[in-house]
Amino acid sequence: MSIEYNPKYMKHFYDPVWENFESGFWQGIKQRKLKFQKCSACGTFSHPPRVRCAKCKGDAWEWVESSGKGRIYSWTVVRQEVHPAFRVPFEVVLVEMVNEPGVRLVSNLVDCEASEISFGMPVELCFREVTKEWALPMFRKAGG
Amino acid sequence: MSLKNKACVVGIGSTEFTRNAGRSEIHLAVDAVTAACVDAGLEIDQIDGMSSYGTAGIYAAELAPDIDVARSLGIPNLRYFGQTPWGGGASCGTVAQAAMAVASGVANYVVCYRSLKPASGTVRYGRPTAIPAEYRYSYYMPFGFASPTMWVAMQAQRWMHETGATREQLGYVALVCRENALRNPRAMFYGRSLTMEEYLHSPMSSEPFTLHDTCLENDGAVALIVTTPERARDLKQKPAFISGVGFGTSYDSHSMTSFYRDSIGLPECTEAAREVFRSAEMTPKDIDVAQLYDAFTVTVPMQLETYGFCKYGEGGAFCQGGDRIRLGGELPINTSGGMLAEAYIHGMNMIAEGVRQVRGTSTSQVKDAQNVLVTGGLGVPTTALILTQGN
Ligand SMILES: [Zn+2]
Repeated sequence: MSIEYNPKYMKHFYDPVWENFESGFWQGIKQRKLKFQKCSACGTFSHPPRVRCAKCKGDAWEWVESSGKGRIYSWTVVRQEVHPAFRVPFEVVLVEMVNEPGVRLVSNLVDCEASEISFGMPVELCFREVTKEWALPMFRKAGG
Repeated sequence: MSLKNKACVVGIGSTEFTRNAGRSEIHLAVDAVTAACVDAGLEIDQIDGMSSYGTAGIYAAELAPDIDVARSLGIPNLRYFGQTPWGGGASCGTVAQAAMAVASGVANYVVCYRSLKPASGTVRYGRPTAIPAEYRYSYYMPFGFASPTMWVAMQAQRWMHETGATREQLGYVALVCRENALRNPRAMFYGRSLTMEEYLHSPMSSEPFTLHDTCLENDGAVALIVTTPERARDLKQKPAFISGVGFGTSYDSHSMTSFYRDSIGLPECTEAAREVFRSAEMTPKDIDVAQLYDAFTVTVPMQLETYGFCKYGEGGAFCQGGDRIRLGGELPINTSGGMLAEAYIHGMNMIAEGVRQVRGTSTSQVKDAQNVLVTGGLGVPTTALILTQGN
């Protein structure tokens, strides 16, 4: 199973909008790179991004490209249609990144049956084109 | 200085709960406020404050704004008006704000209300059309992660994994709420029973939830009137004293998507619990009956843990079989049927039920109920109240 879009309804696609301090994340996505905000002072990652580091209050940060390796922290299989743009069933996953401590990311799982998913399952990043403008960071079973 | 017993709820009013109210949110609010004034024995013109809330975004199209409600009621002036943000999390907060307003003399009679018509109106809860273009949704909507049911499902799956709670245990929450609704003629599910067999074999909406795990969708409004104990003496009803209030956001708080904390639990509830028990000078052992915000079945066992009725990991077992949470059990919950079975008025109907328990007029009355805990929505910044008989 992968998330599938109904082209007829893609005009309703939710175009991401963002605040200034989040731009590195979304500009990264546009270049098909998954980048996370890292505090320049203490190295703490923040996702979703913040104006200041919650740990040291530092206000300088850099955008660090992720290795894309993660593990399934939680998920849901959506079986009842909520919006016609998204064909059910599909899986939404909460991925805990392996190399960026404390970072979790909501995404979709592709090429994986619902019955295969388990807590802690290793996954890896892939990009899927959704609209002309947007390819989104998604995940597949690692090594699969 | 303390807010304990400095204010009380003296009037409750409600419209019918229905699939199609045939009138607007403003109209429903006007009807509920009028009913609350009649219940309290107050003239409408004595209302001089309003405390309200809407959905958990900056854009709340379905809000019945205070000035529109006041205008239709002919109220000459509002000396206090305020809104509490974050959707259902605000429910008890509106009463807390009203208590602060009357206790400090900013206003004399503050009405708290919620009016909504998701069943027949244009804004349906849990539908993407209700989601505004705010930066916070960009992390979710493009992935089809587009409804409160999905967002809470993500929390629920992890919590069930960590604690070993089962679907059957969630089912008992749905069954107990339904039992209570069968005694409550106002309830949407009055006369409609539910069995465990039906619950377990209902189709999944967003795993681990079925239709029976999610709250009702209906039209209606509920209003409450808050004043001081001195003013309450001249009114018709036995007052429900506001003994404790609690607000909480905890750290790294998001609206419905607090997925990024060390543990995915509900620390905002833990904070609100600490505050509500501290201000009431009580512990969970003092609570006779609880109205626990039940937009989803799973939030009941999660709150049993965070409000301290049991330890983390024991909430599911607390609900097993339903005996501990049904009428006659150690902590009867959601005695009107809650939002799973009475009506979804964003928690306001659960506060009204808390007042009925203090008055002794519930259709599922807990004998000699002294202290009632009422909680607000979960997964958002949240609020709580303890209502009592007073001294
Ligand atoms: Zn830092």
